[in-house]
Amino acid sequence: MTFTDHCSRIPWHGAGGALAHLVQTGFGGFYDGMAHWAITPEDVLVVLALTLLSALGGKDRVRRLVFTLPAAWFAGGLMALVFPTLLPPMVLTLASFGLVGLLVALNRHLPDAVFVLLVLVTAVIHGAGNGGAMREAGLGWLGLAGACVAVFVVASVLPALLVRIEKPAGRIAMRVGGSWIAAAALLMIGWWFRGG
Amino acid sequence: MLFTSHFSLGTGVPALALASAGHSGAAGLLAHAAHPETADGLISGLAHPVSGADHVLAMIAVGLWGAQLGKPAVWVLPVAFPIAMAFGGMMGLLGIPMPGVEIGIAASAIVLGIMVLAAARPPLWVAGIIVGLFALFHGHAHGTELPEGANGTLYSIGFVVATGLLHAVGIAIGLIHRWDWGKPTLRGAGAFVAAGGAFFLYQALA
Amino acid sequence: MRWMLILACLISLVADAHELRPGYLEITEVDPGVAEVTWKLPVVGTAREVPKVMFDADTQELTPPNERLTGDSRVFEWKIERTGGLDGATVRIEAPDGRFRDALASIHRLDGRHTTGRITPERPTLVIDPAPGWTRLAATYLMLGIEHILLGFDHLLFVLGLLLIVDGTRMLVKTITAFTLAHSLSLAIATFRIVEVPEGPLNACIALSILFLGPEIVRKWRGGESFTRRHPWVVAFAFGLLHGIGFASGLAVTGLPHASIPLALLWFNLGVEAGQLAFVFIVLAMQRSWKSISLRWPLALRRAPGYAIGILGAFWTIDRLVATFLI
Repeated sequence: MTFTDHCSRIPWHGAGGALAHLVQTGFGGFYDGMAHWAITPEDVLVVLALTLLSALGGKDRVRRLVFTLPAAWFAGGLMALVFPTLLPPMVLTLASFGLVGLLVALNRHLPDAVFVLLVLVTAVIHGAGNGGAMREAGLGWLGLAGACVAVFVVASVLPALLVRIEKPAGRIAMRVGGSWIAAAALLMIGWWFRGG
Repeated sequence: MLFTSHFSLGTGVPALALASAGHSGAAGLLAHAAHPETADGLISGLAHPVSGADHVLAMIAVGLWGAQLGKPAVWVLPVAFPIAMAFGGMMGLLGIPMPGVEIGIAASAIVLGIMVLAAARPPLWVAGIIVGLFALFHGHAHGTELPEGANGTLYSIGFVVATGLLHAVGIAIGLIHRWDWGKPTLRGAGAFVAAGGAFFLYQALA
Repeated sequence: MRWMLILACLISLVADAHELRPGYLEITEVDPGVAEVTWKLPVVGTAREVPKVMFDADTQELTPPNERLTGDSRVFEWKIERTGGLDGATVRIEAPDGRFRDALASIHRLDGRHTTGRITPERPTLVIDPAPGWTRLAATYLMLGIEHILLGFDHLLFVLGLLLIVDGTRMLVKTITAFTLAHSLSLAIATFRIVEVPEGPLNACIALSILFLGPEIVRKWRGGESFTRRHPWVVAFAFGLLHGIGFASGLAVTGLPHASIPLALLWFNLGVEAGQLAFVFIVLAMQRSWKSISLRWPLALRRAPGYAIGILGAFWTIDRLVATFLI
């Protein structure tokens, strides 16, 4: 999802209409897709939130995330590219990563199946929003592929680094991070409702 | 800014497209203008919690009290506070009224300051409710103050991060609690916060 | 082996990734205030609408644009005149949908001054600065270098092949350094035209170098030994010389400022190295991460990069040989 897309989907308070801002690296669709992902706050935050959740859950969880997250993201994105009407409502996108953030803050141990389902659902929702944005920006599947590669790289490296943190202070810092993500999601939902 | 189109490629026929060229030129300018604006959202979100002294004092007091209470309050409070605050902010944005917000905010620094001054040790859930209530008030009042034209998403993130960092400052100061000389110093800091809160309350009423 | 077929299908999608090039805009002042403009665009698909070059309102065109097709490029040439001279003139690239690949602008002035600049969709306007600093040249060629390696799928695939063959950090550093030294050396040699290699056979040889790595990777899986396994840095150096000449042809296509070739070359090379190092670090970080969480991909996925290198290398070799000698 891009700022362009956001501006059209979230009517900003006081923003006075949509201001298009396409991110173009000049390096072609694949890298533009990566850049789109990297500057879309809720798409970055959901990857961060899932990263924290898996890292708190241990290595088994991280292993599941590495493949499931980008694959489901790509599936959701393709769905949105093929069926343009299938875009998830913005509030669902915001609520899904807020929920993941909240689960990180609570640090409750989830059953394995629930964790995988959670990753699948949030990744498909965000992937679909991402795919819709790619279609609008004219980047198509190449842009989506770029975004998915970016997600794959981050999901491979970041959780594997964080899962090694065993000190209580480090784990609490991760939970605080989850709490911040959940808080940001709540505020964004507020803005979304006020705009709509 | 007017641009003369030199030719339309593909046909190779020169064409003058002043109007359309001028139009797309303006669109280009708009696209550029959008950039600093989005950055504004983040910066104003980061700056907002720091710009109000009453808010700063209350946030630091949360950190101080958490550090004074020790585990598990020292981390429960910073984890719970942002969510409660954002919930208050969301209520404010949805237009759900909250009675006594002004008094609640003014009182928060005083009450939290007194708690630190008295080195009060209520049960964790009582401390949680006190802090959570103030968090709701602060979120309700401050979370909705988006500057004109700024980006709500980035503002939200900036607001949450700045608040969290203020807690961290409070906790870092509160760590002096582990030394003998630190305990009275910390209580002194509580007195300072309470006095500051009283001053702001007086200013608000006067 | 069903997935090998899938891989082979993917090839057709990515095989021409390397052929993407930025546009090239050359403005040569021939009389005070009068300039010849050349706008060169790589032919991409069947696109009719291509990005347009627009000057500010003080500029008139003296001749209508003349279009011709040279090999794989569309070239437009025309003459302009600007009242008050070229200083401060504004050049803007506009695409019908606001999207285009970046373009390199090269401006030669009557008094021998030379300016370069990169025009991107983000900054579609370039002002012809009376006294441009060296920083613009540096930034332009740094970005060109990064772009060249990031879109040079074949070069990245070769580096990936090296990473798959080499064991141990020491040997890895040695091998990547050898590759870097070799292609920097040959990039400079080819840019100064000390050696000239025809492009067709060169591209075929680069493809062959990738194909060469495929069997070596398979040999490693089977626990076999070979010269490449023992001394990968020698292979990296030898083939690095080839890849460097390839970089040089990419640089030559985009054009070089005659007055400051060494500086442009330096920054282009730095850009290539930055992009390549970023790629190496990302691949290594991912490998290490997977290892640290004891993630083992299914056999088919673990073998996929090796097969992709072999298949793509073979495909490119045949494709480029056919293009060079049969068409």
